[in-house]
Amino acid sequence: MSDYTAKAREIAKKLLQDGTVAMVLGWEKGDEPFVSAPAVIRDAADVDRLVVDEYCIHDLATLLPDYRDRSEKIAIFAKGCDSRGIVRLIQDRVMPRDRLYIIGINCPGMKDPNEFIRAASGLSKAKPADKAVKCLYCQYPNPVLYDEVIGEIQQPGEDKRFAEVDKIESMSADERYEFFIKEFSRCIRCYACRNACVACNCRTCIFDETKPQWVGRSTDPVNNILYQIVRSMHVAGRCVECGECERACPVGIPLMLFNRKLIKDVDKFFGPYQAGISLEDDAVPPLSRYRVDDPDEFM
Amino acid sequence: MKVLPADKIREALNILAGEAEVYAPLVRGDVSGYIKWTDGPGDELALDILNTYMPPKHIVMPQTENMYKFIATGKDAQVTEIVTAEGPRIIFGIRGCDLQALHALDLAFLTRGYEDEFYKARRQDLAVIARACYQPGPACFCESMGVDRLNPEADVVIHVLGEQGLAWEPKTPKGKDITAKLQGILVDKEVALPQAADMKVKVDITGLSEKLAGMFEHPVWDELSSRCMNCGVCTYVCPTCYCFDIQVHNRGEAGNRFRCWDSCMYKEYTQMAGGHNPREFKKERFRQRFLHKLQYFNERYGANLCIGCGRCIIMCPNEVNILEIINKLKEVQVDA
Repeated sequence: MSDYTAKAREIAKKLLQDGTVAMVLGWEKGDEPFVSAPAVIRDAADVDRLVVDEYCIHDLATLLPDYRDRSEKIAIFAKGCDSRGIVRLIQDRVMPRDRLYIIGINCPGMKDPNEFIRAASGLSKAKPADKAVKCLYCQYPNPVLYDEVIGEIQQPGEDKRFAEVDKIESMSADERYEFFIKEFSRCIRCYACRNACVACNCRTCIFDETKPQWVGRSTDPVNNILYQIVRSMHVAGRCVECGECERACPVGIPLMLFNRKLIKDVDKFFGPYQAGISLEDDAVPPLSRYRVDDPDEFM
Repeated sequence: MKVLPADKIREALNILAGEAEVYAPLVRGDVSGYIKWTDGPGDELALDILNTYMPPKHIVMPQTENMYKFIATGKDAQVTEIVTAEGPRIIFGIRGCDLQALHALDLAFLTRGYEDEFYKARRQDLAVIARACYQPGPACFCESMGVDRLNPEADVVIHVLGEQGLAWEPKTPKGKDITAKLQGILVDKEVALPQAADMKVKVDITGLSEKLAGMFEHPVWDELSSRCMNCGVCTYVCPTCYCFDIQVHNRGEAGNRFRCWDSCMYKEYTQMAGGHNPREFKKERFRQRFLHKLQYFNERYGANLCIGCGRCIIMCPNEVNILEIINKLKEVQVDA
């Protein structure tokens, strides 16, 4: 990826200089070589801060809702997964297509800066992986939507997304219950999974509502499970599999496992369907679509 | 010097756990924290990691804490039980940074004419066995925040010697009582204490609190907050963030009030009854967190609310870094 950064700076500089966009959402280097971090660039003189390297794991589309009530045009760098997130936001009417200039990145897979930070910190004995967990099962390394694109086309790996889901499905109900309790009991309700999620773009989140309060704030198995079930059901058919929720979780809950179960079911019962890969009318998530000839009577 | 041999540490913790709730740095699967010692399978005593991901604050302010039970019939309500949690507790292996955080919590909960009875109940019989910290990590900056990592102010100070076990130094009468309970397994021995490595990260916060008093409306907050996604990780892994919410749980006429950790990063935190929210957007929430840490607490208590443990830097999914923020806040010009 050595030439990505130079290209990225060149494109960003031109866009800012000719006034095509007012700001660029990209990445810059942190204080360690293994840290790249989201950055907002508004001045062409600052484009040399930009970097595109193997640590640019963050889904920048997650930050787009911050700008939803404004009008400036935004350039945004987007890997395959991020571009699906952008499709999500356009379909959800959070961000109109014409406010975005999408600079695609054909992505060979990223490393997770947080794994490296934790390994270096002395708080963990785990070794960081060469490829982030969220990239292991990637089926869309190349952006599905862009105005221009950087890098060589990448080939997706073998589709083993549902291997873990199959394991859970083969458990007995009691085993599954124990598994869920074990995983969710350590949730600290920091809502990082929600905030890292591009599909969680509601103006007022159900978990922030107080009248009524739908889910109790106490951290106990019941409310933790309720939180996690509601969260994953809300993104059923809308999750673009960017894996940011699981990456953001400070206590290592396998959130993508639950998301993938729903991805599998939506595909099976309402599909074939993959979220966030197209802006065509019929690509709206099945559970967000209204059709007069819906086979369910109550519609 | 008294030494607790490495193969006797478990036994020592078991002895202490017979008389008090003992909290020790443990790794449990993907989580590490100051977890109640039960000598259970699956828990690994973690004296060989720098610190735990989760801070020890829950020992004095659990994430969810029952306060009282009540019965409400019509217009009448009766408190049937006030739940406070007295009893001896021991925290084992806490470092100077987290201990200073505990002292900051004491300021908030026990001083200025108000004593929080729930906090006090858990705090008053807490004995501290603190660990001198010889090898700081790359995200540590406790010295810049005024922490004495080699001489923590505790009832007992331990020095981890590796295979030789722990050098054990009682410092207070309470510490001597604890030491007496371990008389059978502590040995007297000449040992060399480890060499202290220098702390590489330094940041000078002199005058920052005063400068921030004039920076509430400064445009730099837009830039600084742009990376933040407004989750609550930093506040929940922070050993000094002490905000809580009081909530109620009702079933028919009976119910209980409890309090639970809350976060200034959440929109709901400042949601007001009439619908107004003074911290509607993330910039305001982000600014609140850093001003509380670096200005408000200093103004009110004359102490730092950041103790330089680095957890927020290590755990932030979007690489928000309080050191970078402090440095940028110091750099910017403030119009007179």
